[in-house]
Amino acid sequence: MSETWTIGVDVGGTFTDLCAIESGSGRIALNKVSSTPANPAEAIIAGLDALAQKAGFDLGDVRAIGHGTTVATNALIQRTGAKVAMVTTRNFRDLVEIGRQIRPKMYDLKADFPPPLAPRHLRFEVSERVGADGAVVEPLDMDSVDAVIEALRAEEVEAVAIAFLFAYLNPAHEQAVKARIAAAMPGVAVSASSDVMPEFREYERSSTTLLNAYLQPAFAQYMRTLEREVAARSPVSSLGVNQSSGGLMSVETAREFPIRTAMSGPAAGANGAIHTALQSGVANVITFDVGGTSADVALIRDRAIGLAFDRDVAGFPVRMAMVDINTVGAGGGSLAWFDRDGLMKVGPASAGARPGPACYGRGGDQATVTDANVVLGRLSTSGLLGGDMSLDVDASFRVVGVVAARLGCTVETAARGILDVMAANMVRAIRAISVERGHDPRDFVLMPFGGAGPLHAEACARALGIRQILVPLSPGILCAQGLLVAGRSESLVRSQRIALNAAAGAVLSRLAEEMRAEAGTWFEAEAIPEAERSATLVADMRYTSQNYELQIPVTGALTDLDALRQAFFEAHARAYGFFNPEDPVEVMALRMTPQGARPKIGAPPQRDTASRTPQPKARRPVWFSGPAALETPVYDRAELAAGAELTGPAVIDQFDSTLLLFPGDVARVDEARNILITRGETEL
Amino acid sequence: MTLHDTRTASAAAPQGGPDPITVEIVASAFRSVVDETFIALMKSAYSTNIKERHDHSTAICDREGRLIVQAEMSLPIHLASMTGLMQAVLSRYAPEEIREGDIFVANDPHVAGGTHLPDINYAAPIFVEGRLLGFVCNIAHHADIGGMVPGSMAGGMSEIYQEGLRIPVVRLFRAGELQQDILDLLLLNARIPEERRGDHFAQIAACRLGLRRVGEIAGRYGAALIEQVWASLLSRTHARMRAAIAGLPDGTYRFEDVMDDDGCGTSDIPLRLEITVSGDRAVFDLRGSAPQVQGNINLTRNAAKAAVAYALRTLLDPEIANNEGILECCELLTEPGSIVDCIAPAPVAQRLNTSQRLVDVIIGALAPALPEAAVGAANGANTTAVFSGIDPRNGKPYLYLETLGGGAGGRNDRDGKDGVQVHITNTSNLPIEAIETEYPLRVLSYGFVEDSGGAGRYRGGAGLRRVIAPVDHDCTFNGAGERFAHAPWGIFGGGAGRPGRFVLKGGAGETVLVAKPSAVPLRRDQVIVVETPGSGGYGPADERSAAAVAEDALSGKYSPGFLDRNYPAQRRG
Repeated sequence: MSETWTIGVDVGGTFTDLCAIESGSGRIALNKVSSTPANPAEAIIAGLDALAQKAGFDLGDVRAIGHGTTVATNALIQRTGAKVAMVTTRNFRDLVEIGRQIRPKMYDLKADFPPPLAPRHLRFEVSERVGADGAVVEPLDMDSVDAVIEALRAEEVEAVAIAFLFAYLNPAHEQAVKARIAAAMPGVAVSASSDVMPEFREYERSSTTLLNAYLQPAFAQYMRTLEREVAARSPVSSLGVNQSSGGLMSVETAREFPIRTAMSGPAAGANGAIHTALQSGVANVITFDVGGTSADVALIRDRAIGLAFDRDVAGFPVRMAMVDINTVGAGGGSLAWFDRDGLMKVGPASAGARPGPACYGRGGDQATVTDANVVLGRLSTSGLLGGDMSLDVDASFRVVGVVAARLGCTVETAARGILDVMAANMVRAIRAISVERGHDPRDFVLMPFGGAGPLHAEACARALGIRQILVPLSPGILCAQGLLVAGRSESLVRSQRIALNAAAGAVLSRLAEEMRAEAGTWFEAEAIPEAERSATLVADMRYTSQNYELQIPVTGALTDLDALRQAFFEAHARAYGFFNPEDPVEVMALRMTPQGARPKIGAPPQRDTASRTPQPKARRPVWFSGPAALETPVYDRAELAAGAELTGPAVIDQFDSTLLLFPGDVARVDEARNILITRGETEL
Repeated sequence: MTLHDTRTASAAAPQGGPDPITVEIVASAFRSVVDETFIALMKSAYSTNIKERHDHSTAICDREGRLIVQAEMSLPIHLASMTGLMQAVLSRYAPEEIREGDIFVANDPHVAGGTHLPDINYAAPIFVEGRLLGFVCNIAHHADIGGMVPGSMAGGMSEIYQEGLRIPVVRLFRAGELQQDILDLLLLNARIPEERRGDHFAQIAACRLGLRRVGEIAGRYGAALIEQVWASLLSRTHARMRAAIAGLPDGTYRFEDVMDDDGCGTSDIPLRLEITVSGDRAVFDLRGSAPQVQGNINLTRNAAKAAVAYALRTLLDPEIANNEGILECCELLTEPGSIVDCIAPAPVAQRLNTSQRLVDVIIGALAPALPEAAVGAANGANTTAVFSGIDPRNGKPYLYLETLGGGAGGRNDRDGKDGVQVHITNTSNLPIEAIETEYPLRVLSYGFVEDSGGAGRYRGGAGLRRVIAPVDHDCTFNGAGERFAHAPWGIFGGGAGRPGRFVLKGGAGETVLVAKPSAVPLRRDQVIVVETPGSGGYGPADERSAAAVAEDALSGKYSPGFLDRNYPAQRRG
């Protein structure tokens, strides 16, 4: 008996989802348990034990566990991290509090960015200074460090962040202070900016480092428990933690850099989407994950997810590689409301899980997106989750009726209006990651997932001119699935300003060589077999006078500067609509991403009764774009065999999601049993 | 064509026109365009002012030049120059003279609707189905526009001719063709022309991007519906703002404050305001204010209007959309030739200091009617520091300009924010690592000024201190400060904040400079200390909680002496 099971574990604030697959048979097993925020590892272990028992396998037969987690993000949102101090260059302890000296909302006198996680009396200064060329301007004064250590002891801090000016160019002072504190204060977590994020811009680097230190103590405890308990049950399995950039990292790395998990969950979803796209032979995808309160959208180009390097987490800037996901407050629970100027808005306020939409019958008394779908007959009245939860249709008509009365129109027109405004919000979010990055959405396939994604795909596709929609086999568990198919990866960076002149080739080659050696060490440490290793190289480039860089993939030799410059010009034209061939260009950073191969998993077996010519299980009136409802067949997705083809109007129901085929749309079930919809209408 | 049945929805749209859902959906598409062009301009520009500090704005106006939609991150002061430029274009050219592919450029405050010369305004006409629909506009603050002082922003200039190149409305593009001679003229008159060219290209590209996007929207909805949606947006915003004004008790509200000086010998310059609220109208009478001054702190009437629009939105309805519907509610009475309605050749570079003060004055006047929205006086300035010289590393001229934030006033339910841009501006600081990489300068210190936020139930925010030294060369310092003499006042009994100052240090000792220092030689062994003003507190100091006073002590933002003086009871415990 060999190790044939792979498990994905997705820890959210409320639930921990587990998804296991047996590589030979493609058999899938699922489990859901309540999360245990005090020590999240407990829920994982309990969930693993229950899952194995339920599905009848031995945890000893587990080959790999991929772990996604919102624990770090929730700790930041709820401010439940450690008592953290900060050590800075002398005369700069206020830097992290001043930030960029701006306010979050121009016209709101009451809105502030959150105060730093280390209050001013816990921010200490030492004498040292490095200059813009990386040379030491003022040597590190160890006496000043020892004085700070005394103060740290007196304050009984649990974690310390160290962030000095220009430490990304010369980390010597930070590393010396880190070693001194670690030696003097064992048990206290220490993060240095030159380790966490060795990049230009002191405020963003300091903020990221402070967040990391704040998360370290609790996260380390969580990781230790998890590692111990998993090892006891599945001694040969490898445990990987999903990072914000999409690949897995080791538990040791996660302990050191918990901030890298800030976007762990959404990154897993993107990973699952890439897997689905690969299965169905699609290269360019816009993903669209709609939950109860929000929608996440992301862009996959050439089977790879775009990365962003600056975003906010819980109101703090974090600068590191993260999947470029745009979140908008539009979900099934989003509320419809009228602004003071009479315009109708949908979201970001949401009815959430409690009370939830009116149709849940838990006291919701305002119209939500889900209620609008119920009114239009788009959601099965037998309800969600395969009938486990029935819907109060009358309640939906009642609340949407209030909106209709205000608009002076029929209840169905009001319901369509709610969905159209919701779609407009989502379209803006999709435009931000496609059009605004220089990509034409019409060249992409839209992939909806999450419980509510497939219901709203058509409206977005129509508004964006997208022709095809790809619906994964199990849209509701794509995130957990993404963890089954994640490979290991690491993000390496050299942040240095290099003018693209004759001398640049040698410098760039040297930096790339350094990183290649570092990647080799990482491959060894992760025990990734030779044949499964790969690495991508990207140069952050800009015009010498600009301050924002474009990420340019390096495919040829780094000594071929003309090719690099040309690639930059093309990217600049794509992003901003122009380029200046005469102006000087520079590289601000080189990034290398070494990665292991992605595990391969097949599709689960299809039901015996599944057919290429399925029969509808029911018919009901459904409102699409026309002036009246259409009598529409309802299919059970489990009954659709590979090769089946359906023409809209139709509704396809499944356990955790509902898919809508508009009149004229053609749906085809492919070999992986994902459904590819080709839209019938090309325009409005 | 409408998406929804306008006939049945008309009950909810008393102004007529398309139903509220169609308006929201189409408006959302236009909001997306101005936000996209804002980011594109920021990321592709060369000027530090734009790329890091976001001193730029993007908008769309209709064919009559009315502002329809402005990017979320746009600056309030730019609201006025955007529509100012439109009025200048439309009064200069008949509609049939405006052609597809034209791009208009202007900056002049006296003849082209601008508010100061470094803000270069762009407008590109939108043509749909062969007809003029409106204009795609953007504004960017260039780091230099020529004139007698590097950066074109220093105090001490007494005529607009000294402040830089005056650009009336010109056509940089005619029917799609670049007028190279005009571009050459613009570039020759600014320091560091390569950088200027990069900024102009970024502005041109932003115009074209906006035109492309609007074209896509027009292809989808058609010009007729778009015009109906725009009209509906304006009338809805207008009605919403009128309703907010109607919420103010009728009556007359008065306030006055005094500006420090104009940098050219005139001190203690009064701003006097009388607001008369009657029903849904509020008239802002500024006719008691000082005559225009020789120094460059004068406001054009447009700039004064922008300050009024900012204050109305902030105090009455922060979530309202920024469009002409608000501007139509701003009724001003001003005296031509006064500091709030200056005439040529008045210099205006530092007009922001006066705008900020005007906002303080409006808040001061309306405070009795709006005690929950009012705040203590802010740092009230736009403290500007400019360093220029020859970079010893490469022999090339450099120019580093920055405006620093300071204290924001105490609020009705919390302290004022420390070290932040206030009111009419919201520009970022430049990272120290960017300053020292780009310029031969070293930042020796960056932090809060001790004891600078005024005492109060809720204290005022602290000012900022930045100490800068030239590295291996001598250079020149120019600056402009306000509230360096007249401290930012507290409100409802709150204490005043500490004024700002510029100090020249090194060699023999230290010298406190004037508030608007011009062309100060800075030797390599000297440093400039910039201290921006704090801000006023809210409510009496004896009502501050003991815990908050203890926190003031623990944070080190206040000296024991200050706390003992202002909070004796709390300090005794």
